[in-house]
Amino acid sequence: MAAAMASAISCAAATPAVAAQLQAKGCATTPARAVCVRVSKAFSGLHSIDLPTASVSASSSNARTDGAVKSSRVENRRNPALDVVASAGEKKNILMLGGTRFIGLFLARLLVKEGHQVTLFTRGKAAVTSQLPGETDEEYAAYSSQVKHIKGDRQDFESLKAAFGDKGFNVVYDINGREGTEAEAILNAIPALDQYIFCSSAGVYLKSDLLPHREIDAGDPKSRHKGKLDTEALLESKGVKWTSIRPVYIYGPLNYNPVEEWFFHRLKAGRPIPIPSSGLQITQLGHVKDLATAFVAVLGNEKAIGQVYNISGSRYVTFDGIARACAKAGGFPEPELIHYNPKDFDFGKKKAFPLRDQHFFTSIEKAQVELGWTPEFGLVEGLTDSYNLDFGKGTFRKAADFSTDDMILEKLGKKTFVAA
Amino acid sequence: MATIQAAACSNVGQFSCSSAATPRSSASGVVSWLCPSAKFSTELRLSSVSSFSQATSALQNSWLVKQSRREVVLPGKVAAARAAAGGEKNVLIVNTNSGGHAVIGFYFAKDLRAAGYGVTILTLGEEASDKMKKPPFSRFSHVEKDHSPSIRNDTFAKRRQLGHRYGYLEESKKKAWIWIARRNAEQSGHGDTQELKELGVQTVWGSNTDIGAAVGSAKFEIVLDNNGKDMDAVKPVADWAKSSGAEQFLFISSAGIYKTTDEPPSVEGDAVKSAGHAEVEKYISELGFSSWASFRPQYMTGSGNNKDCEEWFFDRIVRGRPILVPQPGLQLSNVAHVSDLSSMLTLAVQKPEAANGQIFNAVSDRAVTLAGFARICAKAAGKEVEIITYDPKAAGVDAKKAFPFRTVHFYAEPRAAKELLGWTSKTNLPEDLKERYAEYIKIGRDKKDIKFELDDKILAAVKQPVTV
Repeated sequence: MAAAMASAISCAAATPAVAAQLQAKGCATTPARAVCVRVSKAFSGLHSIDLPTASVSASSSNARTDGAVKSSRVENRRNPALDVVASAGEKKNILMLGGTRFIGLFLARLLVKEGHQVTLFTRGKAAVTSQLPGETDEEYAAYSSQVKHIKGDRQDFESLKAAFGDKGFNVVYDINGREGTEAEAILNAIPALDQYIFCSSAGVYLKSDLLPHREIDAGDPKSRHKGKLDTEALLESKGVKWTSIRPVYIYGPLNYNPVEEWFFHRLKAGRPIPIPSSGLQITQLGHVKDLATAFVAVLGNEKAIGQVYNISGSRYVTFDGIARACAKAGGFPEPELIHYNPKDFDFGKKKAFPLRDQHFFTSIEKAQVELGWTPEFGLVEGLTDSYNLDFGKGTFRKAADFSTDDMILEKLGKKTFVAA
Repeated sequence: MATIQAAACSNVGQFSCSSAATPRSSASGVVSWLCPSAKFSTELRLSSVSSFSQATSALQNSWLVKQSRREVVLPGKVAAARAAAGGEKNVLIVNTNSGGHAVIGFYFAKDLRAAGYGVTILTLGEEASDKMKKPPFSRFSHVEKDHSPSIRNDTFAKRRQLGHRYGYLEESKKKAWIWIARRNAEQSGHGDTQELKELGVQTVWGSNTDIGAAVGSAKFEIVLDNNGKDMDAVKPVADWAKSSGAEQFLFISSAGIYKTTDEPPSVEGDAVKSAGHAEVEKYISELGFSSWASFRPQYMTGSGNNKDCEEWFFDRIVRGRPILVPQPGLQLSNVAHVSDLSSMLTLAVQKPEAANGQIFNAVSDRAVTLAGFARICAKAAGKEVEIITYDPKAAGVDAKKAFPFRTVHFYAEPRAAKELLGWTSKTNLPEDLKERYAEYIKIGRDKKDIKFELDDKILAAVKQPVTV
């Protein structure tokens, strides 16, 4: 790779090929200096992952103008010639905002396993710790005895300094922040931080005819995720060392957003699956465990400072394809798909389909190249994990509601169903 | 060499030369640059410019620099010197004489010359055939001599002028024709030029079944087949390359062979439909070349294209006709600037170990929806457009004839090229299509009388147009 760099004719310089899958293939493309962050098995389904760091990030240094609407944010302040080493050795004192519902459950465990001190800051609505499906008693005991908790409300800005200002936190994982003011309040409470790591959303991207979305693309100031965009801008303006992660649709055991759950309800009931318009809309699902490892990969990573990363699965999927993948994951026969024109219906306040009716997917190349991170789960494999550990056991968050399905079936003259 | 590439790519309009390009001005206030290592192709004489910065921006807008943004021009003299020094490898491009892929050989030849390789392009058929009057072939090496009085005066004046520099009348006569041809090309946006010949590319014609007859005893370390779709067409080329001692064999295949998938994009290694291209790839892989690779393109745009791409959309946009897109309109496709393909091929030639045994999706790294492409074309033309989606079956038309792109998701990503060759995509459709539109107007195609029978049939069948 060093030789390739030296002789690079291409003006953009060679992008370092350190994606984990290449390493798995045994290609001779190891970076000059690699530090492996070993993420151990915290629960079933998660394999040991070596996360070698990229030795050079050349690709990130070029602001691309390739026709997609370009963001006005200053892209890259890094010197691409620097070799970067993840400070895998240094243990951090981490404050996690959230951590008791979905993403944080998996992320906190990884961080504790790595030897970091982790404190969750929540209102206490959900239990501070609970054993995950597939987690052994020993693993759970190890985690629950080490993770700490501070009870409070992050919306009460005045109380924050007293709550955690003097605890010596040097890293914040902001998993549940929505508005710039919320992040600002945290920064006011803890002025000196090594890193502020924020869970943003790919929902900030402006809709485009050119896809996939890339980190350099413009955000949509009118999107309902505007607060996430504002938070990123605020972090940038404060001069704090920040990193932002933009997931697409997250799925996995304990998902409280009805992504796979919506499909599993219908498959279990033996119902046809109504899909709006052509079913050719393309989106992207990312397993929560892969998201957690990405969050770990940016910790203490100099490369990641001031950077935004799309994190999701490495393949995209059509709406029809999700239905079929869920069927495979749960061992169901191939489902009947019904397509309808959503404009012909008035569903009131109810959502007839859980996903945005448009193309919505991102490129995860930047994270793969710069962080050496890559998703472990393929779609069917990941949905199987979700089904086996959660929805296939009869657990769910939202009860099945087929009222919109029945409206569609009736209008299209199909047989209506009585719930089994 | 690296200097030129870097300068050309990193900053549109900047042009530097391997030796220092010295600007000089003459008494008449004309500013020009002359690259001392070049003969004439890098000299740009700009009249009526009063300042350096004006000259620079004029330079930026010139045809030559636009070309240099994509392909870098190394005159034959430099390459010849390189060859004399030894170590220059030779590439044979076996090129189709028609169709969407024809233009690949044109750009690849230029990129290879800039990278210091010897290049021969063997086009199938005969040099005198009608097919050779169309681009890109009209820009290979043949120049139609226009003997009209005004041209004769021009060339006489030019010959006198050049004669002062070159002294030798025959030489200046040749250069005069070339100068006229390029001026015409610049002014009209088309016309015959000798772009490949000027660069020292050998242009020959012949058959894929008897390559020896076309190239004689010339030795080629690298061979590209940019012609065949099946074993009948490619096997003879591959066999000849093997028996003549070629080290590397490259093949232009097609991303159309990927099987449809629920989980796009099509990525190298995914299942393909057998027969045709796939059979060829397998055959090449087993022949024992030190390096072989296959490139799977989708659609291409770029000056010199042989087959309509965006033109189909411009035809309708300039005439105020709606663009009819088979439903639902959000099917994804890929249109790459052909220079993305030529740069990928060149990298494979420069890095044969990295490329060996690999499939490369030869596409840009942004997909575009069918309706979205129509929108981008309209924006490039600076015009409004109405987009109507329709069901081809209901309208009683064959979608293949009624629309220029496949109407299912046709979506591959160039992951292998990025990971293994360090390749990056430079395609910028909104900008690229602006250039294409400018050329479309220059050649007067907007004035052409075109019948839109299928469009009218569809419009008649569509009772309630659904605008996207």
